[in-house]
Amino acid sequence: MLEYRDVHLRYPEGDRDAVSGFSLSVPEGSVLALLGPNGSGKSTLLLAALGWMRPRSGEVLLAGRPASSWPPGERARKAAYLSQIERISFTYEAREFVLMGRAPHLAPLAEPDARDEERARAALDALGIGDFAGRPVTALSGGELQLVRLARCLVQEAPLVLLDEPTAALDPANALRVAQALAALAREGRTVVFSTHDAALAAYAADSVVLIREGRLLATGSAGETLVPGLLSKTFSVPFGISGAPSPFLQAGAGPTGDRRSPPPTGSSIPGAPGDRGSGPSPR
Amino acid sequence: MESARDRPSVGRTPHPARRAPTNAALWAVAFLLLALALLAGRYPEPGFLDPRILASDELARTLLLTVRLPRVLAAALLGAVLAASGNAFQMVFSNPLVEPGFLGVSQGAAFGAALAMVLGLRHDLAVSGSAFVFALAGLGASAALARRFRFGGWVLRLVLAGIAVSAFFSSALAWVKYAADPLRELPDIAYWTLGGLSGIGWKRLAAVAPVALASLGVLRAAGWRLSILSLEDAASFSLGARPGRERALILTAAVAGVAALTAVSGIVSWAGLIVPHAARLLVGADGRRSMPASIALGAAFLTVCDAVSRTLLPGELPLGVTTAFLGTAAFTALLLGRAVTVVR
Repeated sequence: MLEYRDVHLRYPEGDRDAVSGFSLSVPEGSVLALLGPNGSGKSTLLLAALGWMRPRSGEVLLAGRPASSWPPGERARKAAYLSQIERISFTYEAREFVLMGRAPHLAPLAEPDARDEERARAALDALGIGDFAGRPVTALSGGELQLVRLARCLVQEAPLVLLDEPTAALDPANALRVAQALAALAREGRTVVFSTHDAALAAYAADSVVLIREGRLLATGSAGETLVPGLLSKTFSVPFGISGAPSPFLQAGAGPTGDRRSPPPTGSSIPGAPGDRGSGPSPR
Repeated sequence: MESARDRPSVGRTPHPARRAPTNAALWAVAFLLLALALLAGRYPEPGFLDPRILASDELARTLLLTVRLPRVLAAALLGAVLAASGNAFQMVFSNPLVEPGFLGVSQGAAFGAALAMVLGLRHDLAVSGSAFVFALAGLGASAALARRFRFGGWVLRLVLAGIAVSAFFSSALAWVKYAADPLRELPDIAYWTLGGLSGIGWKRLAAVAPVALASLGVLRAAGWRLSILSLEDAASFSLGARPGRERALILTAAVAGVAALTAVSGIVSWAGLIVPHAARLLVGADGRRSMPASIALGAAFLTVCDAVSRTLLPGELPLGVTTAFLGTAAFTALLLGRAVTVVR
């Protein structure tokens, strides 16, 4: 579905690579977490997968073809993307905002029809926010807006969903709702790649985890293999311990993804327990 | 109006149809005002002409058909184009505080038109063409400068760049005025910078109408696309848009319409800023509705402003003065209220 081959990425104003020598293959139907500190290149990798950034060298293949070479409409039917934050200048109603996700399926000047409206409504309902339909997006709380933005990704009906720090600015309850929505996407058979610096979220939602530091791949494998104090300490440059701190992802662990993944062991916010499927990505 | 937007949606069936009557109502109001404007004037006496005298008074008939009708239509077209362009500018730049006049477009057009007049190219099409070229140059310069400025957020940079470019063209215009023939060209240029539609007849209207109507057609058709383009670059890109190219195309269509009409009307400010806000308040932000509503409201607003300009005093008040007066009042009211939110 998505493959990075020895990718080097650099911003126009940057004097060094944001990502260097990154190789990874993301199999269809998997949920992958890119885990790393701020500025480690996670967002950059997602933008490259979207085709928004072209690699300086190497290749990013989306459905077998360089991501930036797809015609825009076709590409948008292959990959949906959610940036970390989004500034919205106009008071669109939530249903109008979600409806914009249908754009890739319409001709440039065509307008959405009743079936598109129906899909937008269904997406809002699926995330349990059908009541928001008529509310202006500018009046929603951070968590509510994030769910509405996710709904826009849903109606895009793309097999690959790229999410940049989907829970970074959210309180525990909203983070959990987003994480559950993410897990639901995976259940539908979509491939999900999300970036985060939250090991607990990665453990909760991902099949496999890629640890990134300073633009380089540090380790990859199942949550059980990667989310261990040693590797995390190296990734984030701070000592990691296992605490007894409660986390919303612990209680809800068995919920949405129970059949896919084992819940993290109680009493640990960073599970190191074996039992996760080791269907990790293959580093190259 | 506020209450219509605030009303909670009923169950799961809030629907597009709910808004349709509002747009129809706006069009009805626009046409009613157009009809009233035809009757408004200073013949046979200041106020409204009694339609019953049309049968007997030949002068009244001639006046209505050859003087007032083209003028009222020109005012409506000008209002529609200014408001539609204003809405397009605001959506393209994700900035509710811009309009063509803020980004060097009007001043660029003014300079271009004056330059054509001084060079002896007095045909409407030549003036329009020159206005269009410099309007586009003004827009391009504002956008390019805003991108390079190292101060403030996008909105502020854009406004600052617009101020700089507008001021540059104002000074260039002053040079042209300085060089102009004080008896023949200068009065034309002076009248033109204040804006007005006096003296417009069928011929001049016919010369600029095709471009203006084509521009309106493009902007109306792009209504929903503008909603997508109003999102951040990466978001609109992820939805399959080519943000840069599509925005440039839409802006070019908007500037073409504004420049064509500005060549005959002179600079008419504020309508492009204020009308789209009113439209969004009435029918919502979605381009599918805000664009037609802007067109209807813009036509209504300028028709009224023009009628006031030519009726209020024995001499004619420049149209740009009337729109600026009513526009600044509405702008202040909007900012004092909670209708406009700019989140930065």
